[in-house]
Amino acid sequence: MSGIEIRNLSYQYPTGSEKVLHNINLNIESGKFYAFVGVNGGGKTTLCNVIRGFIPHFFKGDISGEVLIDGKDVRDWDTSDLAQKMGFVFQNPFTQISGVKETVFDEIAFGLENLGVEVSVIKQKVQEIISLLGIGYIQDKNPNELSGGQKQRVALASIIVMEPDILIFDEPTSQLDPQGTEEIFKAIDIMKKKGKTIILVEHKIELIAEYADYVIVLQDGQIMRQGRTEDVLSHEDTQDYGIGLTQYTLLDLQMRKHNMITERIPITESDSIKVMKEWMSLQGVKA
Amino acid sequence: MEKLRTFILNLYPTTKFFITLFLMITPLLLPGYLYSYLVPVLCLFIAMIAGKTKLFVDIVFKGLLSIVIMIFLLQAFFYPGDTILWTWKIFSIKQEGIDFSVQLTSKILAVGSAIVLFFQITKINDLARSLEILGVSPKATYVLSSALNIIPEMRMHLLRIMDAQKTRGVETEGNLRIRLKAFFPALTPLILSSFSSTDEKAITLESRAFTARTKKTSLHQLEKTKSDSVVRVLLLILFVFILIWRFFL
Ligand SMILES: Nc1ncnc2c1ncn2[C@@H]1O[C@H](COP(=O)(O)OP(=O)(O)OP(=O)(O)O)[C@@H](O)[C@H]1O
Ligand SMILES: [Mg+2]
Repeated sequence: MSGIEIRNLSYQYPTGSEKVLHNINLNIESGKFYAFVGVNGGGKTTLCNVIRGFIPHFFKGDISGEVLIDGKDVRDWDTSDLAQKMGFVFQNPFTQISGVKETVFDEIAFGLENLGVEVSVIKQKVQEIISLLGIGYIQDKNPNELSGGQKQRVALASIIVMEPDILIFDEPTSQLDPQGTEEIFKAIDIMKKKGKTIILVEHKIELIAEYADYVIVLQDGQIMRQGRTEDVLSHEDTQDYGIGLTQYTLLDLQMRKHNMITERIPITESDSIKVMKEWMSLQGVKA
Repeated sequence: MEKLRTFILNLYPTTKFFITLFLMITPLLLPGYLYSYLVPVLCLFIAMIAGKTKLFVDIVFKGLLSIVIMIFLLQAFFYPGDTILWTWKIFSIKQEGIDFSVQLTSKILAVGSAIVLFFQITKINDLARSLEILGVSPKATYVLSSALNIIPEMRMHLLRIMDAQKTRGVETEGNLRIRLKAFFPALTPLILSSFSSTDEKAITLESRAFTARTKKTSLHQLEKTKSDSVVRVLLLILFVFILIWRFFL
């Protein structure tokens, strides 16, 4: 049974006064791309920590329900096997540096060294990731002396170089400009094409619409909505949970209010163009 | 000169350690203080060749020298003795005190500057790697190298905090008292922030499979060369020579 199954999961931080996850049920299928969205404090990071096993391996607190990774409870997994199974790039790029490496190249190699990979193979893999993410220009710099965006790319590179089956990215583009964000999404997409399972926490809805297979909406520690990206992001009331829809969807929804009904509600630019053209030709307008 | 520089810097960490050890132990073996006072000069010379003069001088003068002077004065005044050289009220400097101080401080200076030299000419990561090769656990060497690596980062962080306080009107420049008054409040956020990031640091290590039970590999290649053997043999001969001269002649 490959994939992740979450059953009736509830969790409360040891220092917290109330539950931050309530009765979560979720299936994560292997090789698919899941986006976790929702307002700040909704529980996205906490859910990632549970899936990665940092809760309860690392953070204690009250946990109930179960999380199965490939059919085996995350609590029964050996922590070092988990590290190889699942990569986690977390929200704060500033602390995701080993602190013992003098160059970005060595920093990215750190995980593979720990896994005992042969030196020549490490060099080759690190080089591949560096060119994939276009960070060759900083590879000899000290990791402590990078900008926030550069640190974030290095953090991402350091995890994907280890080639885990499941990749969890918690807001990996928070420090990046639009172009940098786009590049990261392309890199994530390449990982997906390699058959990796992707879990991504992200606020940039346009890119989620473009790349994700499924969207999970979290608010106050509950899953408010889950489903295929094109379903969740084309529902008007998804906005009730603090999620902005893409401009393409909003346009279509406005048209519907004026009785201009298209065949379906688009969520991406390319689909929007297609839908609008069809609608116009149906209306007899020449495009 | 350039050749000598790379010669010294490229020595294997343990060879550098043997040099340091030699410079630390010989002053304790040899009588008198002349040789001991020569050791810091020798260290300075090596540091100069290695191109680390400024750092070396900075640390030895700013750190070591003030301690040495303090010890010197304390001993000069308070070491018991009868040969009084100079008196002021109830305090007096005694010849015995001076003699003892000169002996003691010469050794401290020698040992201290040898250690300072070692850390100037040895890269932390080289040291850590050589310890790993010797069989020290990677966890221990991680603690060592992250602690030593973090010092410059902490310094930067401290300067940033003090800068921030300056913009809020806290005086940070001037005499020692003003500086100290500015320094201690800056320490609190520094310590707090380093505590709050230890959690995430631990998760970072966990994410990078640091605790995996497989045998680690390393990109960091360290090799002993002929120079290492030459230096080691030379040190050994010198050391044996000193021992014989000191105890058998
Ligand atoms: N270490 C902790 N101890 C106690 N409570 C915590 C801890 N971390 C998070 N919480 C609480 O858990 C709730 C969910 O937080 P979480 O970080 O999972 O939200 P999030 O959806 O990731 O938010 P954001 O978009 O801001 O990253 C919040 O109410 C928060 O206050
Ligand atoms: Mg979060």
